[in-house]
Amino acid sequence: MDRSLLRITPSGAAGLIFAAASFVFLPMVLGSYWLAIFTSAAIFAMAISGVAFMYARLGMVSLTQVGLMGIGGWVTLRLNYLWDMPFEVNMVLAALATMICGWILALPALRMRGLYLALVTLMAAGGLEILFATYQFPNGGEGFWGVKIGSNAPFRRPALAQTPEAYLRYVIVVATLGFLFIEGQRRLFPGRAWALIRRSEAAAMAAGVNVTLYKTWAFGIAGAIAGASGALLAGSLGLLDDGTFRSSESIMLFALAVVGGARFWLGAVIAAVLFRVLPGLLNTWGVDTDLAFVIFGAGLLHALITAPNGIAGQIFDLVANLRGKKGKTHD
Amino acid sequence: MIDIDAITVRFGGLVALNEVSATLSAPVAGIIGPNGAGKTTLMNVVSGFITAHSGRVMVEGQDFLALAPHRRAQKGLRRSFQKEQIADDLTVLENVLVQTDWSLTGWSAKRAEAMDMLAVVGLADRADKIGGALSGFERRLTDVARCMVGKPHLIMFDEPAGGLSVDETRQLGDLIVQIHTLTGAQTVIIDHDVELISRICAETLVLDFGRRIAFGPTADVLADPRVKAAYLGTEEVAQ
Repeated sequence: MDRSLLRITPSGAAGLIFAAASFVFLPMVLGSYWLAIFTSAAIFAMAISGVAFMYARLGMVSLTQVGLMGIGGWVTLRLNYLWDMPFEVNMVLAALATMICGWILALPALRMRGLYLALVTLMAAGGLEILFATYQFPNGGEGFWGVKIGSNAPFRRPALAQTPEAYLRYVIVVATLGFLFIEGQRRLFPGRAWALIRRSEAAAMAAGVNVTLYKTWAFGIAGAIAGASGALLAGSLGLLDDGTFRSSESIMLFALAVVGGARFWLGAVIAAVLFRVLPGLLNTWGVDTDLAFVIFGAGLLHALITAPNGIAGQIFDLVANLRGKKGKTHD
Repeated sequence: MIDIDAITVRFGGLVALNEVSATLSAPVAGIIGPNGAGKTTLMNVVSGFITAHSGRVMVEGQDFLALAPHRRAQKGLRRSFQKEQIADDLTVLENVLVQTDWSLTGWSAKRAEAMDMLAVVGLADRADKIGGALSGFERRLTDVARCMVGKPHLIMFDEPAGGLSVDETRQLGDLIVQIHTLTGAQTVIIDHDVELISRICAETLVLDFGRRIAFGPTADVLADPRVKAAYLGTEEVAQ
């Protein structure tokens, strides 16, 4: 067993403390409006961790993440109305189904790099957008697509999380597990292979790394994470709307992952807060929520010009500097 | 033993390698030649990054040209590149472990082997240092350690001494000479440093314009008038 797997870094400890604090305090202090927003933000933080991981570890730009979330959500809703299985089973099956979709997406994508890879994934997102708009999401109707006119059939929320407060806690736990899963992969042999692939694919092949396999695996992980997030999104509302899964949202999600800092857990959290909480905040202030796009644009310029590791990278650098100075004064 | 048999490589109209044949059997063999002679191209054919137009490469009796590059590595081929390929965000130890991650050997055995090889190259005390914090020579040594794990059959170094000081080159040469005793692997080195080649390589292949112009014991090869002509750029001596 790899001993470094369970090593807790300062950043990791901060992340776990942050997750625990959010778990305990957020549901206590938030009203129903903010509960819904923070639940959605936690779900998107998890989805963002998938794209951010692909970008940070392999330099691959995936612009399909929200579309893949839609697949996860679709599978969850479909299974919910098909059989009487608990939410958790549906979520795992949705994650697996989306992982397979991620692999299928990876097949053409693996032959391409950089901009071309991004374009292929964007086209896939566009295709999914059309599928969702055409067939809608299952709401208890008959047939394969399961759509009916009128009110929705009841959705089974997780047994552990029947109230909005409990559901936010539930989402925080699942999202934390998602983050830990990715970090675990990064610390074991897939992480080593990815690091070398990013350095140079030729060097990775010369080291016996099956580049195609590990890239496909990365797509699969990002897909599974997206699928689980889609399932959680379906679970929070009991229904889904195709407007949530537009390809423009995937682009936004990726851009914000860069703004937040793709290499850090905090980056995904910042990105999710910008993506979901900021528009909510503008809304309560009575300001047009489209102002958020202006702020996103400014954030992206800031990241591209001055902060290659995003806002999270700057925060961690700042903390490291402060600790360094403190250490020196003690010497 | 590596048996290169009539390898031809073409890039469009350019013949980069023209029916090059050589059977390298010395524990440490060299490949030299002027810039553009086809040395790295030959190494790329053996490691699978370039497809040969015709010819065969046998390593320890296995036909290598039929295998994907990563499969060749798993069959015991190692190579380094002109620029060392060390991942900046992995530790020295992790950079070495990558090489054996595909094998099903136990984790502790793989780790022990990696640590042994890091001790051989003199980096055991820096095993947990992150790749980005290494000096150029430390990166090169990490690369060498990575080539030595996982029971290699053939290790190819592409200009390993490039950018190293005289002392570092000597240290690297001493290290390369030990590889055969330590791992049983045969080593092939491409370098411009004729002094290094003549010190550590028992036999040497000389390429020029994609052709083999000499092959044999290093001292004989370096004394060959055609080799001198190729290096010094004088008129080709009559065959």
